[in-house]
Amino acid sequence: MLKIKNVGKSYGQFQVLQNIDLEVADGEFLAIMGPSGSGKSTLINILGLLDQDYTGEYLLNNKSYKETSDNLLSRIRGDQLGFVFQNFKLLTTYSVYENIEVPLIYSKNEQHHKRERVEDVIEKVGLNGKEKHRPAELSGGQQQRVAIARAIVNQPKLIIADEPTGALDSKTSKEIMDIFTKLNQDGTTIIMVTHDEEVAEYAMRTVYIRDGKLYHDAKDVFKND
Amino acid sequence: MIDKLLIAFKSIGKNKNRNFLTMLGIIIGIACVIAILAVGDGFTKTMTKGMGTHNDSGRVTISFETSSYDDSTSGFTQNDVSSIESLSGVDHVKLDSSSQEASAKVQYKTKHETTSLNKAPKHLNLYKGNDTTIYSDDSSNVFISHGLANRLFKGGNALNRAMIIDGNVFIVRGIYKISDFNYRPDIYVSKTVFKQLFAGQITKDLARIYVQPGVNKKSVGKRAVKQMKKFGEDKKMGSYSVSNPDQMSKTFTKMMNYITYFVALVAGISLLIAGIGVMNVMYITVSERRKEIGIRRAFGATSNDIRSQFLIESVVLCVIGGLVGIICGYGLVAIINAFLPFKAIVTVYSLLLSISVSTAVGLIFGFIPSNKAAQSPLVGLLKEE
Ligand SMILES: Nc1ncnc2c1ncn2[C@@H]1O[C@H](COP(=O)(O)OP(=O)(O)OP(=O)(O)O)[C@@H](O)[C@H]1O
Ligand SMILES: [Mg+2]
Repeated sequence: MLKIKNVGKSYGQFQVLQNIDLEVADGEFLAIMGPSGSGKSTLINILGLLDQDYTGEYLLNNKSYKETSDNLLSRIRGDQLGFVFQNFKLLTTYSVYENIEVPLIYSKNEQHHKRERVEDVIEKVGLNGKEKHRPAELSGGQQQRVAIARAIVNQPKLIIADEPTGALDSKTSKEIMDIFTKLNQDGTTIIMVTHDEEVAEYAMRTVYIRDGKLYHDAKDVFKND
Repeated sequence: MIDKLLIAFKSIGKNKNRNFLTMLGIIIGIACVIAILAVGDGFTKTMTKGMGTHNDSGRVTISFETSSYDDSTSGFTQNDVSSIESLSGVDHVKLDSSSQEASAKVQYKTKHETTSLNKAPKHLNLYKGNDTTIYSDDSSNVFISHGLANRLFKGGNALNRAMIIDGNVFIVRGIYKISDFNYRPDIYVSKTVFKQLFAGQITKDLARIYVQPGVNKKSVGKRAVKQMKKFGEDKKMGSYSVSNPDQMSKTFTKMMNYITYFVALVAGISLLIAGIGVMNVMYITVSERRKEIGIRRAFGATSNDIRSQFLIESVVLCVIGGLVGIICGYGLVAIINAFLPFKAIVTVYSLLLSISVSTAVGLIFGFIPSNKAAQSPLVGLLKEE
C-alpha cells in the first residue's frame, strides 16, 4: 500500500520527525501510538497527502506524489483516501446527509448514484433515520459514525484515522472499533493513531513514535533513556 | 457548479443581516444605474421620435421673430421666397410656421373667451361623441376640449349645442380630454374651415431653404439672413436669424449630461463602497470558515474548487443585491417620471448592464478573499475548530 523511507519534517530548527521508515501492506490495520506532541499527527498528515512539506521518500501504491499538482493531490485524497479526524471535524451547519455527501461533491466519478451511496454508508455505520439531524443533535459516538461514513463514502483503499476514539468513552470506542474492524475485513487498509492501549489491540500491528522517531517494537521505545 | 451554488445560498442565508447590509451599497448603486439609463433612454427616444419631422439634411431654416406682440401677420412673403431663391446655392424655399395653431374668440350665450384652434387630426379618441374625425364637408362641426366645454357650458351638456367661433355658428359634435403629456388646442375644426377662416392668421415665420447638393447650408443660411435684413418685406417688424431646431434639445441634453454625471458619480461611489463592503464580508466569511475549507480540501476539493466556491458566493451576494437594486430602480424611475416632461424607460439593455455590473463587482472584490481561502495551507486549516 505505502512505503516511506528516511522521512523527516521540521518546523524551522525544531525537528518533529526524523529518519522515519515504515511500510504498510495492502489490507493491513496499523496502529500508531506515542505520547502527545511526539509527531503522530504530523506523520499521518504526510501519509494522507495533506502535508507535502517533508524530506525523504514516500511512495503510495508505488508512486511518489512529491511533485504532483494540487489538483491531482486533491483528487487522490478525495477518491483513494478517507480521513477520520480526532474532533470529528463535521460541518456543524449541515445535516448528517450533507456532511457525508461532501467527498462525492468533489469526486469526478459516480455523480448519479450519490443518494444510494450516502444511504448505503449510513446503513453501514448504523445511523439510519438520522439523515436530517445536525451534528449538534447527535452524541459523540454518533458524530464519529458520521465522520466514518464520510470517510468511506468514496470507497477508499486506505483510511487514515487520527485518534478516532480520543473523545469517546470505552463502550462507544468499542462500537467504533467494531466498524473499523469490519471495514478492514472487507479489504480496506487502515492506519490509526491512538494512545489507548485497548483500542490499539484491534490493530494487527502497532508502531510507536517518541520525540519524532519511529519504533517498530515497544521494547525499543525507552531503550535510549 | 449547482452544488457550489447551493452551498453559496446556504451560507449567505446564514448571515442574512450582515449580508443585507453589505448588499445595501449595491442596491443603491444599481438603482442609480437603472434610473440614469432609463432617463437617458427615455430622452433619446423622445428626441429621435421628434426628429422625424425635422430632418435637416440638405436644408437650412431661417426664422422671423416679430418685435411687436399684437401684430401677428408679419413674416416671410412670396417676394421674400423669390429673393432667397435668387441666391446662389439655393434650390428652393418652402415657408412654414412655428405654431400651427390659430386663436379664435368663442362665445356661448353671454360667456366668451379666446382659445387656441386647429384643424382636426385624422384620428381622435373622443370622450363624448361618435366620430373620430371631422370630414372636410362637415363645415359646421367642431370638437372641443373637455376643459372648454366645462368653462363655456358651465358643466352642462355641450354635445350638439351651437356655439359661436369668430362670428360663425358651429355645432359641438365631440368632446375630448387633454392629458398632461399630450398637448392639444381647445378647438378642432374641419380642414376646409381651417383653411378658409383661420389659416391666414398663421404667419409664415419660418423659411426652409433647400440647398443644392454639395453646398454648405450654413453659409447659405447666413447669406439668406443678410438678404432678408436688406430686402425682407417685413424687416421693420422683426428680426431674422438662422434657426437651430436642436437648440432646445441641446441645452436640455447638456443639463441631462450634468445630471447623468452626477448620478453616475453617486452610483460609482456607492458601488465602490459596496465592493469594499463585499470584500470585507468575504474576508470575514473566509476566516470564519477555515475549518470548513480544511474539511472540503481533505475530502477532495481542489484549491480551485475553494476559490470558485467563494467567488460564486461573492457573485451571488452581489447579484441578489443587483436584483433588489433593479426593483428599487423601477421604483425610482416611477418617481422620476412624475417630474419629467418625457417618460423615462427601463430597457432590457440596462437590466443586462445592471446584472453584469453586479457580477463584476462580485468577481473583482471577491477575488482576493477567495484567493486567500484557496491558498491557505491545508495542515493549518485542519487544526481549526
Ligand atoms: N505549525 C507548527 N509549527 C511549529 N511546530 C509545530 C507545528 N505543528 C506542530 N508542531 C509541533 O510538532 C510536534 C508534533 O505535533 P503533532 O501534532 O504531530 O503531535 P501528536 O503526536 O499528534 O500529539 P497529540 O497526541 O497531542 O495529537 C509538536 O511538538 C508540535 O508542537
Ligand atoms: Mg495529534
